Amino acid sequence: MVNPILLIVIPLSLAFVVPFFGFISKKIEKFIPFVALLANLIISLKLLPQVLEKPVHVSIGGFLPPFGINLVAGPVGILFTILIALVGFLVSIYAFTYIKEKDQEKYHMLYLLLLTGATGVVLTGDIFNLFVFFEILCISSYSLVAYFGDKADIESAVKYLIQGAIGSSLVLIGIGLLYGQFGTLNMADIASHIHSVNSIPIFVPLVLLITGFGVEAAIFPLNAWLPDAHSSAPSSISAILSGIAIEVGLYAMVRVVFTLFGASSILTFLLFLGVITLLIGELCAFSQENIKRMLAYSSIGQIGLIVFALSIASSYGVTGGLFQLVSHTLGKALLFLAAGYMIYRSGSMNISSFEGMGRKMPYTSLAFTIGAFSIVGLPPFIGFPGKFMIVKAALFKQEMLFTILIFFILLATIIEGAYFFRVLQVIYFKGEKSTLSQKREIAPLSILIPIFIFVGLIVVIGIYPKLITDVLESSASELLNRADYIKSILP
Amino acid sequence: MNFLSEYIYYIGAFGLIFIGLFIVLVKKNLIKVIIGLSIVDTGINLFLITLGYIKSGTAPIFSEPGLKADNMVDPVPQALVLTAIVIGVAVLALALTLAIKLYKHYGTLDLRKIKEQKW
Repeated sequence: MVNPILLIVIPLSLAFVVPFFGFISKKIEKFIPFVALLANLIISLKLLPQVLEKPVHVSIGGFLPPFGINLVAGPVGILFTILIALVGFLVSIYAFTYIKEKDQEKYHMLYLLLLTGATGVVLTGDIFNLFVFFEILCISSYSLVAYFGDKADIESAVKYLIQGAIGSSLVLIGIGLLYGQFGTLNMADIASHIHSVNSIPIFVPLVLLITGFGVEAAIFPLNAWLPDAHSSAPSSISAILSGIAIEVGLYAMVRVVFTLFGASSILTFLLFLGVITLLIGELCAFSQENIKRMLAYSSIGQIGLIVFALSIASSYGVTGGLFQLVSHTLGKALLFLAAGYMIYRSGSMNISSFEGMGRKMPYTSLAFTIGAFSIVGLPPFIGFPGKFMIVKAALFKQEMLFTILIFFILLATIIEGAYFFRVLQVIYFKGEKSTLSQKREIAPLSILIPIFIFVGLIVVIGIYPKLITDVLESSASELLNRADYIKSILP
Repeated sequence: MNFLSEYIYYIGAFGLIFIGLFIVLVKKNLIKVIIGLSIVDTGINLFLITLGYIKSGTAPIFSEPGLKADNMVDPVPQALVLTAIVIGVAVLALALTLAIKLYKHYGTLDLRKIKEQKW
């Protein structure tokens, strides 16, 4: 049996080894994230069949759960580690040619630390440990946003840091309050003692934790940092921030709401919050002229949709939400990578500078098109089954409220379609005919390979969604049955 | 009066947290905002320590016979605070680094004048 702790140990130890490899040769260091994340991907895939039968628990230092720190590799945890390792691995290939300026070893080190933090958050079973990994994730993403050191980068990193630091402080206060009441930090142990969230001493930490994690997940009133940070970070980091970091924030929030508190009374509130986030995100994206800013706002919208789907809290709804999460991770990472390369070539983030790209860079434009279609939810791409499942789950509820909310969600999808098709129109149909005579530029292989692996995954899973629905269904049941989760850790 | 002497540490801790939040929300100078973040951190650390504090308690080490567990200070919050202090220092250092860079670019730390990124 492979020990799930390797998923954290390998990237963490390799992250600190990066500068030493830099002494030997500057050329080796960029391959270290590649190696670490490939190892993580293989380990997670190897753990998957075992985990689907029975969650794997690791007690660190041999102290049994309520006392020591434990790792819980359940279906949800392994689903997320696979996603993190897969996207991280592909983006690390992209970074071979994309990251050329400045001190590369800092980039690669922080990149590995960011993904270590994300992996730790999804695997841990201890609430304070979750906070520590969450801070690793946050601090490395603050500094990666400022990596190029331009005017705009520093400004958005400062904004992100101030908001993120306040969010983390709120999380820590919430954890302190929980520890004060229950005298334990183990999530299963706390969960087994919480009977009702309607009493004030339990409601206050719930609110603090939701708000704190909501900052990183960019739920509506807390999303001010996201468009700045995602648009001024290097494109490879934007892909990671949009595809992984906000999803991990969302995971932490969902874990707290479903498993830790079993807070079914707050779900209606989250339903509305999700729909409002969706509408605000899509409407703001519609009015953007900057392509990365548009994609960043679109991420906010997608997060809103996922929050909505998860708050339906039926097994079908949660499965749909997780499906949407997977499709957003793959689709948005692809869009940022493809757009990043086009920006790198055209030198401007303005949508109008993409005129004639369809002829100049045919492969990258094709990949961008597929990503856009998938995010909008056209068949046969991965976005379609996700959105279909969410709509179906909401209609199964047969309540007036859900029907009205579904109307708004479909409206938001139309807006989404409108702004993505506008970009596609600029790419393919605008521009002087004289650009025809321009030489075609084929992107280097290290850019094309990750982009086309993403395209392949999007098309294959879109045509045959059964590939991942088994994992998603058992993840949904892990999230919804908190009694089983508690029993599996505290026998 | 009894209430005050019993809860004085909690009042102090949350007082610091709210003072810090107030500074972050109201002040326009980036350095002051960072100081506010640091005060929030201090308040939280004080709060965590207070959770496990017992007046005239001892360290949780059974060094001599006759020591009872109910007169000992809870060690877990102290371990948490150690970690939280380290994290707080990292965030503070990063924030100050960014402040230096920001000053180099804009020549000011007034957050109202820094608006390259707009909605």
